[in-house]
Amino acid sequence: MGLINYNIEKYSPQQLVIIPLAILAVALILLTINIATTGMPVTPGIDFSGGTAVTIITTDTREQITSYFADYPLIDVSDMNNGKFLKFGLMDDAKYKSLTSSINQRYPDARIDQIGETFGKTLQSQAVLALIFSFIGMSVVIFLSFRTFVPAAAVVLSAFADMVMTAAVMNIIGIPLSLGTLAALLMLIGYSVDSDILLTNRVLKRQGKLNEKLAGAFHTGIIMTSTTLAAALAMFVVSWFGAVQIIYEISAVLLIGLLFDIMNTWLTNVGILKWYVQKGGGK
Amino acid sequence: MNSKELKALVTDWRVATLLILLVLSVIVIYPHIDEQGHLASNLQYGLDLQQGSWLQLEFRAEVVGFTTDQPLEAFVTNLSKKLDTEVIVVESTNPSHLEIRKYYTQAELEPIFTSEKGKLTSYQQGVSKPTADLVKRILETKINTLGTKDAKVNTLTGLNNVARFIRVELAGVDMNQAQEIVGKQGKFEIRIQTTGNQTEHVLSGDTITSVQVPSQEPAGSDNWGVGFTLSENGAAAFRAAAIKYGATADPANHNLIMLLDNTSVYSAPLSDDLAGKLQSDTIRQLFASTGTGKSGTQQATNLEIHLRAGALPVDVTIAGSGGVSAPLGEHYKIMMLLAGIFALIAVGFVIYYRYREPSIVLPMVLINASEVIILLGFISLIRFQMDLPTIAGLIAVLGTGIDQLVIITDEILHEGKVPSPNLYLKRLSRALSIIVVAAATVVIAMAPLALMDLSTLKGFAIITILGVLVGVIVTRPAYGRIIMQILSK
Repeated sequence: MGLINYNIEKYSPQQLVIIPLAILAVALILLTINIATTGMPVTPGIDFSGGTAVTIITTDTREQITSYFADYPLIDVSDMNNGKFLKFGLMDDAKYKSLTSSINQRYPDARIDQIGETFGKTLQSQAVLALIFSFIGMSVVIFLSFRTFVPAAAVVLSAFADMVMTAAVMNIIGIPLSLGTLAALLMLIGYSVDSDILLTNRVLKRQGKLNEKLAGAFHTGIIMTSTTLAAALAMFVVSWFGAVQIIYEISAVLLIGLLFDIMNTWLTNVGILKWYVQKGGGK
Repeated sequence: MNSKELKALVTDWRVATLLILLVLSVIVIYPHIDEQGHLASNLQYGLDLQQGSWLQLEFRAEVVGFTTDQPLEAFVTNLSKKLDTEVIVVESTNPSHLEIRKYYTQAELEPIFTSEKGKLTSYQQGVSKPTADLVKRILETKINTLGTKDAKVNTLTGLNNVARFIRVELAGVDMNQAQEIVGKQGKFEIRIQTTGNQTEHVLSGDTITSVQVPSQEPAGSDNWGVGFTLSENGAAAFRAAAIKYGATADPANHNLIMLLDNTSVYSAPLSDDLAGKLQSDTIRQLFASTGTGKSGTQQATNLEIHLRAGALPVDVTIAGSGGVSAPLGEHYKIMMLLAGIFALIAVGFVIYYRYREPSIVLPMVLINASEVIILLGFISLIRFQMDLPTIAGLIAVLGTGIDQLVIITDEILHEGKVPSPNLYLKRLSRALSIIVVAAATVVIAMAPLALMDLSTLKGFAIITILGVLVGVIVTRPAYGRIIMQILSK
């Protein structure tokens, strides 16, 4: 592909990994701050913290909506095209019943999701477990298939960096951790290692000059990530246009994660592999 | 490609498998125009894509671990009295746990256990799996008798086999209706046969104070039934009616009939033993036997539900609820269809940009699309309800599935030369080995979600794993065969 010329011959492994490692450090600091303030690395959405989410397709302005729901604990109104997304805090059953009938009166076509606090908390602890198990499982597969420490660790580190950086950006731009974005993060764990596996395979199992093998792997790998990016971008655009919030968030997380994946595969992972091969590892 | 080559290609088992699965999938999905002229198919949609509502119920009960030096039976009976609720020994766990069918906090339970010379060793809100299954059956029976067409009840069981939540999904019903249906109890009544087909009212359901789980009477025999307890007034009324209509003197001609919502659910005479006892005394503890063997057990299970008249053995609170209106669901469906089409086009463009060769790009995109069709076939077959995250997963399959086709193509085209058949096979297997590892990571990454009951994400994870498997087992090998044919020209 002529668009990007991948030539890293003149850079040392240290130079290659310095930028991603700096970003990783900043991301880790941001997540630590978030854990210290909220108890979770990524701010939990209504799925996990409890509350009521309402989706309405309307041309009403934010002010009109806010004043209509003045009697209820409305926390936030966000909008996307014609869609308005309302978030309400926790309320008792009576209040909730009256809220649903208010919604039905004015916005009969709304979507309502109410999650109780205890259920959210249960989901939250399971979500964290799922992420951890998923990551450990992926690492085990990688180590079993490569059976050499440094290349396998490089892949796992790149995947870890993808996660951490994506989570940090989610916090910065305000995408909460919901069931949907959790699914997206898990997809990233699974899919982000595709190009790393290809890269490691090409470098360790093929004959030839290192730089040529790297360039060849990049040639294939960048297309792989681009196709997934293209699919995610299509979802992102359509879901923005059609105000489908959960898909919007899933595709946004995928886009962010895949962009970081390009960096982490072709700088972090390549940097470590280059160092490993130059030290005499591999062939 | 001449017709001979084409025939060889189509009859290759890898390609043939793909084609057969593709045809079967289309048949299973069954896209057609329905009577109203709308495009319809066998695909099932989750509640965020069609009108409906869901309720998440939380059990007001707990499962606790315990130790005691007292005889188990006495210990449980005493606890049950003190706690004023049913206490059940859960034997499916080792060591045994106790299920307390009323909500107490751990701090409230500890002193009570201590006073009964026992010790509380663990505490978990929820119910045991058998109880959760019973609640599920009761809710299903109730929803079915109300004629709601499309309902789904799922217990969410944690890793420790304690179920804390149960989820009810009702298609085509709005949220207020859903709450009514779940909260509503049936009308239960016991009548007695007087003369011929005539019957008289004896009791209504509110005089039944508790219903036991199905058991054998006498214990250890194969004679199944359900025990239940009447209130003082109920027992008095029962005795009065039995004597008045002659059931105590001539049980055989005076069946007792149980009705739920005016439908007979049980009919049997008094046992001679009970008839004799009723002459002299009121009896509160009754046992309705249902016969022996498997059918006896099954009938006992059903009778238990009927005796409860749709009331749950454990109190529940609503822990969450939601619903989508019909127009919004329709809107989501259209948007997701668009997203899928756009994703396919976008992926096609990226591939075209790279290879610039329609004879490579076309098979790739077609294989990619066929993968999604086969997946949709599976989804229709298992009547899986697609929701928004599942569709996002399917669209992601479009992007990642083609990755693996790129790996195959590039490995084979390595150094720009078309390889000899031997070299070709070597390269294909190298490509497949990369793909298998990549696929394994996705499967493993999704496994926790598929195994956990993380609400709606379970389905998403299962579909993603299925997608990967279909890719590795069916479409990749077929693509390898097709691309060889094309490149060897």
